[in-house]
Amino acid sequence: MAEPKLRVLMVSDFFFPNFGGVENHIYYLSQCLLNLGHKVVVMTHAYGNRTGVRYMTGGLKVYYVPWRPFAMQNTFPTVYGTLPIVRTILKRERITVVHGHQAFSTLCHEALMHARTMGYRVVFTDHSLYGFADVGSIHMNKVLQFTLADIDQAICVSHTSKENTVLRSGLAPGKVFMIPNAVDTAMFKPADVRPSSDDVITIVVISRLVYRKGADLLVEVIPEVCRLYPNVRFVVGGDGPKHVRLEEMREKHSLQDRVEMLGAVPHSRVRSVLVTGHIFLNSSLTEAFCIAILEAASCGLLTVSTRVGGVLPDDMVVLAEPDPDDMVRAIEKAISILPSINPEEMHNRMKKLYSWQDVAKRTEIVYDRALKCSNRNLLERLSRFLSCGAWAGKVFCMVMIIDYLLWRLLQFLQPDDDVEEAPDINFCN
Amino acid sequence: MVSSSISNKRYTYIHESESEANREAIDIHHVIINGSRVTGYARLRWLATFLVALAIIMYFLLGKDNPVRTLSWSCLLSGFFVMIQTRKFVKKESVIIMPTFGIQLETQYLSGKTLSMFIPIGKILKPVLVECVTPVTCYWSLSLFLRGEEQLTLVFKELRPTLKMLVPIWKALCAVIGTDQSEMMTEEEHVVA
Repeated sequence: MAEPKLRVLMVSDFFFPNFGGVENHIYYLSQCLLNLGHKVVVMTHAYGNRTGVRYMTGGLKVYYVPWRPFAMQNTFPTVYGTLPIVRTILKRERITVVHGHQAFSTLCHEALMHARTMGYRVVFTDHSLYGFADVGSIHMNKVLQFTLADIDQAICVSHTSKENTVLRSGLAPGKVFMIPNAVDTAMFKPADVRPSSDDVITIVVISRLVYRKGADLLVEVIPEVCRLYPNVRFVVGGDGPKHVRLEEMREKHSLQDRVEMLGAVPHSRVRSVLVTGHIFLNSSLTEAFCIAILEAASCGLLTVSTRVGGVLPDDMVVLAEPDPDDMVRAIEKAISILPSINPEEMHNRMKKLYSWQDVAKRTEIVYDRALKCSNRNLLERLSRFLSCGAWAGKVFCMVMIIDYLLWRLLQFLQPDDDVEEAPDINFCN
Repeated sequence: MVSSSISNKRYTYIHESESEANREAIDIHHVIINGSRVTGYARLRWLATFLVALAIIMYFLLGKDNPVRTLSWSCLLSGFFVMIQTRKFVKKESVIIMPTFGIQLETQYLSGKTLSMFIPIGKILKPVLVECVTPVTCYWSLSLFLRGEEQLTLVFKELRPTLKMLVPIWKALCAVIGTDQSEMMTEEEHVVA
């Protein structure tokens, strides 16, 4: 097998067996990059008993480093604690580009800092939107400013997300690429026989029942729509703190036979729930990129959604403000245009517009651009940190200087030649 | 007696075996720490100096009234400590493969003590090369799956030889157990200069 063109290390606290959008993104992107002939290695923290090296489909090597998570699946931030293991992995696998995911991941920030100290090319992808006002957000944004001050390239998943990231971190917009997420269209296919929309129209909602996903809006919208349209029924999948409010709503308006609550739906069963419906309702207040809408559109459902990042073409979605009356109006419009929707045609369009192979090719371009960036020495890099703030800039400089000294100390104690390189293992397909 | 060796800064690997044609002969693989005599005794000297200094400090802080007793206690304790440390310094680890009979794993310490463990051939299911990840490093190790044991058994318990040294031992173990190597994944080894 020919020598891989690029050797990429994906770093994040969030990876399988934990389930979510970031984890999915890293996995699918890695698989497509492997198909393009690159070598991809993933580094994450240990999950329970799952520590050490695992190989996934296609020869994707995953390092589950035994640092215990301390809060919300994040590794305990020790700032310099991960330097030895990051250095070992970068040397063993002969990495050329380090790609960090998710601003909320401490492992990602630490690994990117160490990689920059050691002179590797660094790319960062931000998957979520964050606020500016509360204490947690202010600190998170400062950490992000530190990491992104010295990055080669950044990727955001939507224009909304790009604006948010640039404002939070003060990064130059020219360095940020916008590559939207994709959907696994092979998995999300319309039903062979579409359920008839003459008698009953089914509206599907699948989301975590939390404030941010607009669960409170659902509580207002569902009874109103049920009152206006006697032939509409709702299927609600997902679980969360707002589940109680929805149950109360059902009891109060006697909608037990018209609103079906499925509870938590595992991702493998999402498609089977989606194909029973005609319309998909998304009431999120804010999202960087709503993959749920893509999955629904790929299954041939017409979508009614609030204005979140990652919106579909106009004829596949009806947009609404996050206000109950406006959402009811949007659902009315969706019901009226429902007969003209062709699920197969929608699915085929989604296949062309959103594919992981396309995302991987565009990410490859970002990596090539990152590799062309000149490698600055320590002094030039320190000057970038000074512009981060009056005293924050100086703190960041101190942190980087100590990191540099610790790296040199490690090189003295364990010279680079002593780190044995791991062989590339081919899996016979 | 045919013997081959690979060595790097830290370890030397020596393979002793009968001529290639005789497959029933005993196969011996050694991994020796380089300069073990030098570094081992240097470490001992350093340890001894430190402990003498500790004894002197203890004398000045505690035992002004009864210096003899303090000094003798310090000497006893430090001697005890040094003896314990010597046991931990490994000089050599060996794998002796006896076809159709079993394998013997030996660890030889600086103090001359040797610990050995015999595993009958019927008990070994498979030898595997595993990448071990710790919070600060990652290294290769050769382990055995044994019948009736939940945990893997390490072939080299104290030392961490490189992959280039472990591969011939792994192949020899596979040959003895009769595992078909072509069933396993093909490896494209990156040759390190």
